[in-house]
Amino acid sequence: MFFRLLMESFLRQRRRKLLAGLAILLGTTAVTAMLAIGASVGDAINRELSSYGANLVVTPKADTLDVEMGGVSIRPATAGNYLHEADLTKLKGIFWRNNITDISPELPLDVTLATSTQTTARTVSTPALVPALGLWFRHTLRYGAGSSAETYTMGAPAMHPWWKLRGNWPTNDATNEAVLGSTLAAQDHLALGDLLLINGAQIRITGIVSAGDATDRMVLLPLALAQQIIGYPGAVRRVYVSALTKPEDALARRNPDSLPPKLRDRWYCSPYANSIAYQIQEALPYAHAEQIRRVAQGEGTILQRISGLMWLVALAALLSAAFAVAASMTTAILERQQEIGLMRALGASRAAVANLFFAETTLLALLSGTLGYLLGSLLANRIGQQIFQSAIPFNPVLLPAALGLAVFVSLAGGAPSVIRTLRMDPAVVLREDT
Amino acid sequence: MSRSRFSLLILLRRGLMHRRTRSLAALFSLIVSAAVATALLTLYASLNQKLHQQFRAFGANIILTAPDGAALPPETLSTARAISGPESRIVPFAYAVAQTADGAPIVVAGTDFSAVRAVDRWWQVSHWPDAENLSADSTATAALIGTRAKNFLPGENFSLTYNGHALPLHAAGTVHTGGAEDSRVYLPLAAFTAWTSVPATTLEIQAPGSAAQVQRLLDRLRLALPGVEVHAVRQLVESEGRVVDRTRALMFYSLLLIALTVAICVLATLMASVLERRRDFAIMKALGSTQHQVSLLFLLEAILLALIGAVVGYFLGNLLAFLIGEWNFHTAILPLWQIAPQVLLLNLMVAILAGGVPMRILRAMKPATLLRGE
Repeated sequence: MFFRLLMESFLRQRRRKLLAGLAILLGTTAVTAMLAIGASVGDAINRELSSYGANLVVTPKADTLDVEMGGVSIRPATAGNYLHEADLTKLKGIFWRNNITDISPELPLDVTLATSTQTTARTVSTPALVPALGLWFRHTLRYGAGSSAETYTMGAPAMHPWWKLRGNWPTNDATNEAVLGSTLAAQDHLALGDLLLINGAQIRITGIVSAGDATDRMVLLPLALAQQIIGYPGAVRRVYVSALTKPEDALARRNPDSLPPKLRDRWYCSPYANSIAYQIQEALPYAHAEQIRRVAQGEGTILQRISGLMWLVALAALLSAAFAVAASMTTAILERQQEIGLMRALGASRAAVANLFFAETTLLALLSGTLGYLLGSLLANRIGQQIFQSAIPFNPVLLPAALGLAVFVSLAGGAPSVIRTLRMDPAVVLREDT
Repeated sequence: MSRSRFSLLILLRRGLMHRRTRSLAALFSLIVSAAVATALLTLYASLNQKLHQQFRAFGANIILTAPDGAALPPETLSTARAISGPESRIVPFAYAVAQTADGAPIVVAGTDFSAVRAVDRWWQVSHWPDAENLSADSTATAALIGTRAKNFLPGENFSLTYNGHALPLHAAGTVHTGGAEDSRVYLPLAAFTAWTSVPATTLEIQAPGSAAQVQRLLDRLRLALPGVEVHAVRQLVESEGRVVDRTRALMFYSLLLIALTVAICVLATLMASVLERRRDFAIMKALGSTQHQVSLLFLLEAILLALIGAVVGYFLGNLLAFLIGEWNFHTAILPLWQIAPQVLLLNLMVAILAGGVPMRILRAMKPATLLRGE
């Protein structure tokens, strides 16, 4: 009898069920989509922010003092200590290796620039010594051995997305190609394809780069060539690392060595800029790694604000959807006061009527809630694709949350009217609502 | 005429007061819709400015330098200040290479500490040099020492030599940034220039606003300062625009989704509450009311609810936007009066639509059919 009543109610009152169901469906859709977006917006914005460049820098531990002004180092290239290029693979072996998106080693040096004998038309008017930088362009980094080896393509162009290149980056490990900074090229009337003598070796200009900073006055060389020029194979002056990090909080600022073991583990296993730097130092004991505070702190601020904003909007969506659904459930029940009165007049107990109504509401909420979850997930997925070119994955954890919410809100919206009507005399209810 | 208006008012009041729960549910949903519309519209309108403001955490976005490391013309600072307006902050820098006691080179910079403090918020400084430090040791200049440079200096009190002139210094605090600053010694610009006779060589400007606004400022600065190299910190300006645009797009979709959800829920609530009253409608018609009068009554009811809902919702929505601003951006998001008519219009539209659609359905039916049942 109970199930027949339940069935009939759904079959016969299709318009009412449709309206109430639609409200619940849309409510869950909005809430699911907003929560899914809120949960993944941090990652998406983090990836966007990696275009600010490196947030970590690795330098040799026992180093001489940098003498650098306006982005140009005045210290001789041969002074001080170096990192070993071969060790950089170890950076992909640390705990948070998957958060490291790019590695860019640098080796600053000075080179003499002269016109190649083969291009007679051009004469270099620069001072003999120009600043140069040895870099990875599209370096293939191999981590692991045998068939399980992972390869990554890393280098300076990915680290500096704001660099604008005309031409091409030098090919992998080429030792006869280079890129010129745009100011330097303009000053010496050099063009793409020209041949130059750099420290006596014949080099072809494959590209001209505009960076908007001191790089515009430099020669960018493949790292191997730079090492060859200074005579230190495998030497690297500093390494810039771009990593996806979590904004700094009170825990992040603590010194890990003074923390109790449990907190230390939490510190170590959170992708703070500080803990990634700490792990890099563990992998390269002779190096000093630290966050570049300008980028790391700025990114932290932006990340916190934007994900905070999305969470608050998700909360607002949740509250407003809950209120709107509750209001429409109240009305949906009020409409049916007569039905309640009639059932009571025919001898149904209060509990039986209440059970019927609550079962109906729950069933409706579950049906619409599931549909709403699917629709909301799809919507979040599409919005992620549209805005960030990366789909937001379906989040199964949200299903029970969305359903629980749908059932709770629908019951909370309908219950007061059901209870109020049940308290009234059936005769009054039946007469009242004419 | 006056009697009919009188009775209309009574009917209106009765209609709303008689079954209060139903009216309250309708009113409540209209308040929610107005509050959501107000909060989201206000938030969206101020989002651009609020987001760009957050990006100032990255510091200066425009840099002025003299070509080939020469000094800037003396009037550059005042000209730049006049052009960039009171909302921009300007930090002057001057650099020189000095020698420590054992002859090692070290970069010394002169700057305006209060400006650096406001713009370069990522500087981790143990203690800023201020008047206190100066009075403590009046013969030495208070300086800020980079954490790396500290290892190459003998202690708190030391002296550096530039061009044969020695300057006694006192380390008031250390600065740590993870960048080139760590290897430098910072002095107040006036003391620096008096010592080295090098005036400011770089001005870093933190300009507010969007990429287009920054570009306009760049153009004006270039025009006014012909001998000076003016360029944007491209790394900051480009990414900022993209992140702000994407966040706004995300917000826009969210707003659309929330607004649509709430609007349809409200519509469902109101429609149900009008349909529920088909018997009232039938009785009035059976007693001789014209279709016109009945429609007017229902419409007035809906409009009245929508009006009250809009007024209450507008205030609640502004409160919500204000709280979101305080929590998230730590600055208030103030009410925008210009969105009040939009909110009102939106609410009226929802209410009239919700009243109108069922009225059209009911109009086609005969009172007798309606009174008999379904």
